[in-house]
Amino acid sequence: MAQSTTLPHPAASATQDAPRTGNWDGGNEPFKASYGKLMMWFFLLSDAFTFAAFLTTYGMIRHKHEVFTGEAKDFVFSSRWWPIPDHVFNAFPGMGEANVPLGFVALMTMILILSSVTMVLAVEAGHRMDKADVQKWLLWTILFGATFLGSQAWEWSHFIHGHTEGTVMADGTVFHGANLAMNQYGPVLFADLFFFITGFHGTHVFSGVCLLIWCFIATTNGTFEKRGHYEMIEKIGLYWHFVDLVWVFVFTFFYLV
Amino acid sequence: MASHATTEHTLAPGEIAKPNTGWIWKTFGVLVGITAVEFVFVFLMHPSTLRNSIFIVLTILKAFFIVGEFMHLKHETKGLIWTILVPVALLVWLLVALITEGSFIGEVLQNMFK
Repeated sequence: MAQSTTLPHPAASATQDAPRTGNWDGGNEPFKASYGKLMMWFFLLSDAFTFAAFLTTYGMIRHKHEVFTGEAKDFVFSSRWWPIPDHVFNAFPGMGEANVPLGFVALMTMILILSSVTMVLAVEAGHRMDKADVQKWLLWTILFGATFLGSQAWEWSHFIHGHTEGTVMADGTVFHGANLAMNQYGPVLFADLFFFITGFHGTHVFSGVCLLIWCFIATTNGTFEKRGHYEMIEKIGLYWHFVDLVWVFVFTFFYLV
Repeated sequence: MASHATTEHTLAPGEIAKPNTGWIWKTFGVLVGITAVEFVFVFLMHPSTLRNSIFIVLTILKAFFIVGEFMHLKHETKGLIWTILVPVALLVWLLVALITEGSFIGEVLQNMFK
């Protein structure tokens, strides 16, 4: 018992397998990406599956309904055929009954693309460890994100309350707007899909805005500066761009096609 | 190292590098341009399969710029690029297959007792 009277210190035993140092604690960094960034990519991939399921549902349900075959100017809302999007989404805030086909959704698309730009600018500022610039661009991104959410709220409100002329239903009554069971624009499922797909996307934007506000607070407190890198901004940025990307697809399949 | 003196500038402690944002605004311009082209097709072309195909191609082009530049995937390692692209490609195949086959079966069932 003479040899070992002292036990190794716990911290010393932890460093006994010294080669296991480094990025992911296996001595290397798969794909030259940090653990957090790679896991964000994989999360976004799984989120893409969710939205692909929505788009599949939309495509199949749309094919199951009749197409309006006449001239676009003769189009009337009817539950017999799928509505033409620029006849449904043609209102603009503050312009009353004016016909502005897809005008507001174009503005919303611009706002979201612009928010993506300010997000990359924040990431770029983070690479340079420029705290003031990160704060500035994060605030712009939060502003554009919140504006998009507000616009979507207006869009939903208008969709729910409907156009003044309404549509004569099968029992002879005039119905305005939309809910999950009835709508003036076309088949019941058209409004249901609108609520589910744009609602799911809007929830993503809302989560993104919350994460960005948290990022802004952490930047202001100097959390990332102390950490020595602004990688968190990059990870939240990946999520934010993905939300923008989903909108690009929702925009095409819901409003254009 | 005199030849590098004009191109390389070592930062003094506490100094912040100049922003390099040209590529960001260029990508923004491309995205706005593609969206504008989409609107041109909405108003100048009658709905048809050709118009829908144009929209889908332009959408994928926009996706390429958002994922490649903004999400930086173009500049990641090849392994990461394939890890993301292969599942997405299979997913698109699944989507197309489900919609075509699903629509066909839907049509068959609808007309079965007519």
